[in-house]
Formats: sequence, structure tokens, C-alpha cells
Amino acid sequence: MSEPSSPARRVAARPAAGVAGASPARNAGTLGRHAEAILRNLNTALLVVDTGGQVSGANPPAAAILGEAVEGLPGRVVWDWFPDTPRDELPFARSLREGARVCGAELTLTRRDGQRVPIGVSSGPLLEADGSPLGAVATFQDLSGIRRLQRQVLHAEKMASIGRLAAGVAHEINNPMGFIHANLFQLEEYLADLRRLWEAVAELRQAAGASVDARLRDARGRLDALARQVDADFLLGDAAKAVRESLEGAERIRHIVQDLRVFADPHEGEPVPADLNRVLDATARIVWPTLKHTVVLRKEYGELPLVRCRPTQLQQVFMNLLVNAHQAIQERLRTEAGQGEIVLRTEPVPEGVRVAVSDDGIGLPPGPGERVFEPFFTTRPAGEGPGLGLSAAYDVVRRHGGTLRAEGRPGGGCTFEVRLPCEGGPPPDPGP
Amino acid sequence: MTPVATILLVDDEERILDALERTLRREGYRILTATSGTDALRLLEGGTVDAILSDHKMPGQSGLDLLAQAAARCPQAVRILVSGWPEEVAPERMRALGIRALVAKPWDAHALRATLREALETR
Repeated sequence: MSEPSSPARRVAARPAAGVAGASPARNAGTLGRHAEAILRNLNTALLVVDTGGQVSGANPPAAAILGEAVEGLPGRVVWDWFPDTPRDELPFARSLREGARVCGAELTLTRRDGQRVPIGVSSGPLLEADGSPLGAVATFQDLSGIRRLQRQVLHAEKMASIGRLAAGVAHEINNPMGFIHANLFQLEEYLADLRRLWEAVAELRQAAGASVDARLRDARGRLDALARQVDADFLLGDAAKAVRESLEGAERIRHIVQDLRVFADPHEGEPVPADLNRVLDATARIVWPTLKHTVVLRKEYGELPLVRCRPTQLQQVFMNLLVNAHQAIQERLRTEAGQGEIVLRTEPVPEGVRVAVSDDGIGLPPGPGERVFEPFFTTRPAGEGPGLGLSAAYDVVRRHGGTLRAEGRPGGGCTFEVRLPCEGGPPPDPGP
Repeated sequence: MTPVATILLVDDEERILDALERTLRREGYRILTATSGTDALRLLEGGTVDAILSDHKMPGQSGLDLLAQAAARCPQAVRILVSGWPEEVAPERMRALGIRALVAKPWDAHALRATLREALETR
């Protein structure tokens, strides 16, 4: 590689801060002599292209990000890695065409195997000592890790604000629900009374029809006509049915509002140190009767340090995870015979404890995994629960300073993993 | 014949008061209503009240505060708190303030009537 010595000279044109006690002139000498070793060992991706955009030199980090062997790079055309970006806008092209120095441009490169990698690129023209163009030189780094972190932060913020909104809405809905519920209940009682009244009227109608008094017989005739006109018997029966159905609806709303409430910051009690194995076990006992016909439950509990928490809230979390696992299994058993398995696994981890609930159900829906934690996200048909369980669980875990993640397995099934910090960080290392 | 018991209902939402009156109409009580703690305390000045049923979350004075003050002015009245979020009210505070019962909102009509009846009988 003779070309890469040129970029090294360019770097040397500025005083290098890293080499103490050496004059710029001496640095240039050092860099010049060791240019190739420096390039090879440089811990950032470096790519040099000629005036036609063909790779003339690259170091191992560049090859790693591009997903190729270093030897395979020279001669490749740089545009080919960026099918999404118009060639004129590529930093390399601008450096070649206008001599532009581009700093920190964000691009997506597409590897030969189709994998896409977000990168940050800085590039500049590569010039001979007399100013004639040799090509362009670029450094870049893989932004996948940073992007993932950004997505997580954004998602966490979104969840927190949705949570606050949900709790606020729950409060606002509850008051009108209070009187709607009570009024419907009262209407039901009123209608029962009206029906009794109407039955008494029926007796009176009969008596009046048989009366010798013409006025009574006329009145009965008018009453009968009116009853036919308004369809009185149907009306009384259907009013009762309408009220009963509305009460059922009100009851459903009441449950949703209660579920939404979990998102509010609770003012209940101080957190207490608790053994999560016991909290998990207590929850499993409660849910067991609904699981036992279709599910084998396996418990793999490790020894855990105490976790400072609100145990009833975590019980709610485990309950929601178990119910979710059960539903995923039920969904699979709709088309397959047999049983499902839920595994509860607990273990200490450096930052605290890890509790995992795994199932062999239908697995996660396609799309970003975090979506299952959004309120009202559900794969179940309308009317079978509003899809609040997992988002409520997510919020409770977040408020405990922990994380809740979902991971699907190829071929179905998935694992929900709760990680919670324990008091004072990791347990002390026994040490020698 | 025992005199008719007087019940004071307090909620900032008038429709809740209407609905509570409907729930209790057949019980034959004399019903007073107030839409704020201040109004409620004024009504307590006016005469005998046998039971106070107050909402907790109200603008201005909370139900708990109102019931605490009512205890001083009208010690013979049974005090019952109504709350949309009953789990938010600490049981110790309820006990400390001598509040007889906590009713969840939306309420169950049968349960509310029974609670009130029993509270008045065992006053």
C-alpha cells in the first residue's frame, strides 16, 4: 500500500497532540516512517478512494464495518455501498468534486449480504503536495450501538408520557363513570317497578273490558290502542335489556380505568426489601388454577438478594406476564393439540436480580419488539381485554428503576425478562 | 317511632349528588347536599346531621380534611369517605380520623345502602 502514506502526511501537517515532546517536523518523520503501521492499528475506520471513487486503501476497522476482508476492498467502488443515497450527496463525492470537508455526516451503508449499518462519516479531499487531487480520505464509525440507545431512550420517554396521559385520563373518566354506573343501576330498579306496575294495569284492562260502564270500556280501548302503538310490552322488556347491556359496558370501562390507574405515580407506602422468589411464587399460586389445564409450569429459582420494592405492584407485573404467557399458549393451542410450558427463572445478576418468564406460545407479533409494551397494543380480538397488561407491567418495572424486555424465539415462544436493581448495587464480592 | 335520619352528601360534581340521592331515595332519609367543603360545614352549623358521605378528591378542601373538621363540629355524625381510588387513602389516616367506612366510586348501590344502614344502627 503506497497510497495511504498520503493521508498520513496530511494528518501530520497539523501538530499531533498525542506525541509529547516531539516537534511537528519530527512527528511528520515518525508518521511518515510508520504510516502503514499507524493505519493498520488506528482504532477508527479509514477509507481512501481515488478520483474515480475506487477504494485505494482501507484499514481493518473499515473492513469490519463494511463486512468485508481488507484484501477484498481495493478496487471496489465506494458508491456501491450506499444505494439509498444519491451519489452527488455522498461525502466522498463532494470531497472529490468540490474538495469539501464533511464532518459527521450520517449515512446508511448496505453490506454485500444486504445488512444495513448506520454510520457517521467525515471526509476530505486527498491532495498531493502541489495541490493536485489524488482522491478522498474518510474516517467513519458504526452508529448502530448509539442508534439503539437513542431508540431505547426515546421509547422510555414515550412510555413515560403515555403513562402520565393514561393516568390523567383515568381520573377524568372515573367521575362521569360514577354517576353513569349509579344511574343505570337505578334505572334497572325503576324499570323493574314499572314492569310490576304494567302487570297491575293488565289486570285493570281486563276488568275494564268486561265492565258494563261504556266509559271504562272506551278508556280501555284507547289504552289498548296506545299500548299497541308504542309496543308497550316490547318497550318495557327491551328497556331493561338495554340498561343491562349498558351496565355491562360501564363495568368494562370501570376495569379499563382501574388498569390505567397503574400508570399513575402511587402514593402508597414506602418500598420494602422483598424476596422476589416468594413474590413470584405467590403470584404463580394465584394464577395456577387458570393455567393448570393447558400448561406445565417449571420453576428454576436461583438464590436472590433482597430487592427494595413495592411487592404488590411487582405481583401485578408477574401476574400480567403470566397471563400474557398463558394467552400466547392458548393462541397456539387453537390450531395444535397438546400442552404448553411456562418457565419461571430467577437469578442474581451484577446489578441486581433477573426474573424471566418464558413460554412456548405463538411468539411475538412481527414488528419492533417494544410495541408490545404500548398501551392498547393487543393481538387479541376486540373485546378480549384492552391490551394494557404489558404496558402497565413495563411502567411498574420502570418506576422500580428496572427494565422489562421481550425477546421472541425463532419457531415461536418468547421470554419476558425483568431486571431490577437491588439495594446498594451488586452484592459484595466474597473475594479472597 | 325513630326520627328520620339526616344524611349530608358532599361532592363537587352535582350529577354525582343526583345519582347518590337516587341510590338512597328508597331508604327514606332526609337528604342534604353540598358541592364543597365550605358549603358542607355551613350546613352542619344549621342542625343535626346523622351521617356525612363525602367525596375525597374535591377542589379546595379534600374529603378527608372536611370529615376531620366535621368531627369537631358534629361529633355524633357517622363519617363515610367516597373515593375513586380507595387504595390511595391510607387506612391509618382513616382510623386516626375516626372515619367509619370507605366507599369506592363507582359505588355498588346495595353495598352503599347496607354500609350506611349499618353505620347508623351502630353509631
